[in-house]
Amino acid sequence: MAETTYLDAIRRALFEEMERDANVFVMGQDVAQFGGAFRVTKGLYERFGRLRVVNTPLCESGALGAALGAALVGKRPIVEMQFADFVSCGFNQIVNNIARTYYRWEQPVPFVLRLPFGGGAGAGPFHSQSPEAWFAHVPGLAVVAPSTPADALGMMKSAIRDDNPVVYLEHRFLYRREKESLGEGEQLTPLGKARVAREGRSITILSWSWTLHESLAAAEEVAREGISVEVIDLRTLVPLDEETVMASVKKCSKVLIVHEATATAGYGAELAARIADQAFEWLDGPVKRVTYADRSSPYNKHMEKALLPGREAIVAALRKLARY
Amino acid sequence: MAEQTAGTPSPTTLRRAHFFMRLSRAWDSRFESMARAGNIGRWYSAVGNEATTVGAALSLLPNDALSTVHRDLGAILTHYLDPTRLAPALFEPQDRTAWDALRPDPGALLHRLASQVLGRRDGFTRGVDRSFHYGLIDRATGLRHVGMISHLGAMIPVAAGLALANLQDGNQNVVVGFIGEGATSQGDFHEALNMAGVMKLPLILVVENNRYAFSTPLHEQFACEKLSDRAPGYGIAGETFDGTDFEAVHGAFERALARARTGEGATLLEAMLPRMRGHAEGDGSYELIAADERARWLTHDPLPRFEAWLTRIGAADAARIAAVQETATAIIEAAVARGLATPEPELHEAWRNPFAPGPVADAFARQHAEVTRG
Repeated sequence: MAETTYLDAIRRALFEEMERDANVFVMGQDVAQFGGAFRVTKGLYERFGRLRVVNTPLCESGALGAALGAALVGKRPIVEMQFADFVSCGFNQIVNNIARTYYRWEQPVPFVLRLPFGGGAGAGPFHSQSPEAWFAHVPGLAVVAPSTPADALGMMKSAIRDDNPVVYLEHRFLYRREKESLGEGEQLTPLGKARVAREGRSITILSWSWTLHESLAAAEEVAREGISVEVIDLRTLVPLDEETVMASVKKCSKVLIVHEATATAGYGAELAARIADQAFEWLDGPVKRVTYADRSSPYNKHMEKALLPGREAIVAALRKLARY
Repeated sequence: MAEQTAGTPSPTTLRRAHFFMRLSRAWDSRFESMARAGNIGRWYSAVGNEATTVGAALSLLPNDALSTVHRDLGAILTHYLDPTRLAPALFEPQDRTAWDALRPDPGALLHRLASQVLGRRDGFTRGVDRSFHYGLIDRATGLRHVGMISHLGAMIPVAAGLALANLQDGNQNVVVGFIGEGATSQGDFHEALNMAGVMKLPLILVVENNRYAFSTPLHEQFACEKLSDRAPGYGIAGETFDGTDFEAVHGAFERALARARTGEGATLLEAMLPRMRGHAEGDGSYELIAADERARWLTHDPLPRFEAWLTRIGAADAARIAAVQETATAIIEAAVARGLATPEPELHEAWRNPFAPGPVADAFARQHAEVTRG
């Protein structure tokens, strides 16, 4: 069977859900005939027309506010940011308007925010960021970050069907690099459930998206040295699947958190705090992190690579942890 | 700019307009006195806005949407309530519209509204958010109302999105959004009106220009002559009118609605309103305005003007006007009394799930509950 890329999996989810429910629509800059900056929405316009594949002017806040308005009266909008970095222009609509509506007056806001994010392409400070922590901090937003084509498909479908705002982080570096065979039928990945990506006994890695793959490669490498690493793909950051996380932490007793976002007040800090709170007695070493350096993303590829939390840094951290 | 005169409002329209303008004013009188006595935290008066807010909402049909900010109580009352059930003595059988028959029990709705504004248990947010920071969307009754968040301009794109949904559904429904002149300086005003122009959205944005945003006067807010002058820059229609003149309001809305319902697109309306009160009662912003200017604006009250006009055209006599005023006052007195007798919200409401029911809400509920309590 032909393999589906991560990008094609997202497109398949959009296509299937738009076929299934006429209230689902896509909105964003250049998303119609052009198919979006990364061509994720290519072909949707031809099938669903301009009222369901809606090009907007260059306005993040305007588009996000409009998505909220449409969602309040029964639509299920999916808004694409051209790059996740640009979401800052629409921040208020997300964190004050979209996120808080349901708690305030109990009107559901079915809404998906697509954020093509992440580095590795030498794209500089404004096309490389990993902004999940901005949104994880806001009550009322679900935050998800699939790492595989199967989850890209299944989580997008679940996000579209959910009656809540879902921030969906899709990694640009994975778009065309990750491929796998996906079955034909309906495939849904539940939100709020982590996945054990690799079983192990002595160290738990908690990761998601691109760094999940780096973590798996690092786990493979240290396995040859006799270090058995369990890798958990969180997939959903908010709400966190504490059950799966704590079960793994209690089994392995050592934890390495790996994420591409910068360290300070990153989502890893939240994980570390919850582990300290709920699994303190099981820990045999400090909870460690491998993250992006607390810097903007340099344009020069070699400089960027030096700051990225890749396989080598993860291997080194695992070896250090193994000595405890 | 459309200049043709719209049809004279029907007797039914005039009766409804009069009742709701007086109902809004009676509500303000009651809350202003509570604010002066220190019995409520804050009150943002709608005095002076009634001809505009009521005039706007009177033109709406089921599933038309209303987006409101601080001073739009008149629009909310007009949108929600069946006056023929609320004040039967003031209306004729033919005043009852088909929509009135669908509308919820007006007494119950008024109670929810009073409880909301008083922060009580029976309010729309059950204590979670203040005054007009809520919405009411009800498919069965065709009520579509979205209230404000404090950032104000943020609601203009939301109104545009309500209009986009109408376009997608291929219906003739429209959206009337209110905003103060201060929020026209925010970026969302530009983004939303630009989208409205490009997408030909059935949106009417009404700027309630009451000359001061908190304490900031017009000349420190914008440098154009009229805010409606911005409309051509967005490729939409624009009109500035005297928002205390019900006939002018009615005409402007008839023209804007005709455009919106026939696919011609959006209109930016600027209602010039008198500054008859401060930003919030007792916040010092009113006293900042020169005494002679305050006195001048107080002579621009839309209500006596409307009632004098009703008398002049033979639509109401002194007895009728007195009856409307007394009935409105009595209805509000009763609603506020009942609201005040309603218990405070239950504390467990503060802990309600921030997610709508479903897998995300369930997963959230499974999280370690004591994470915030050590």
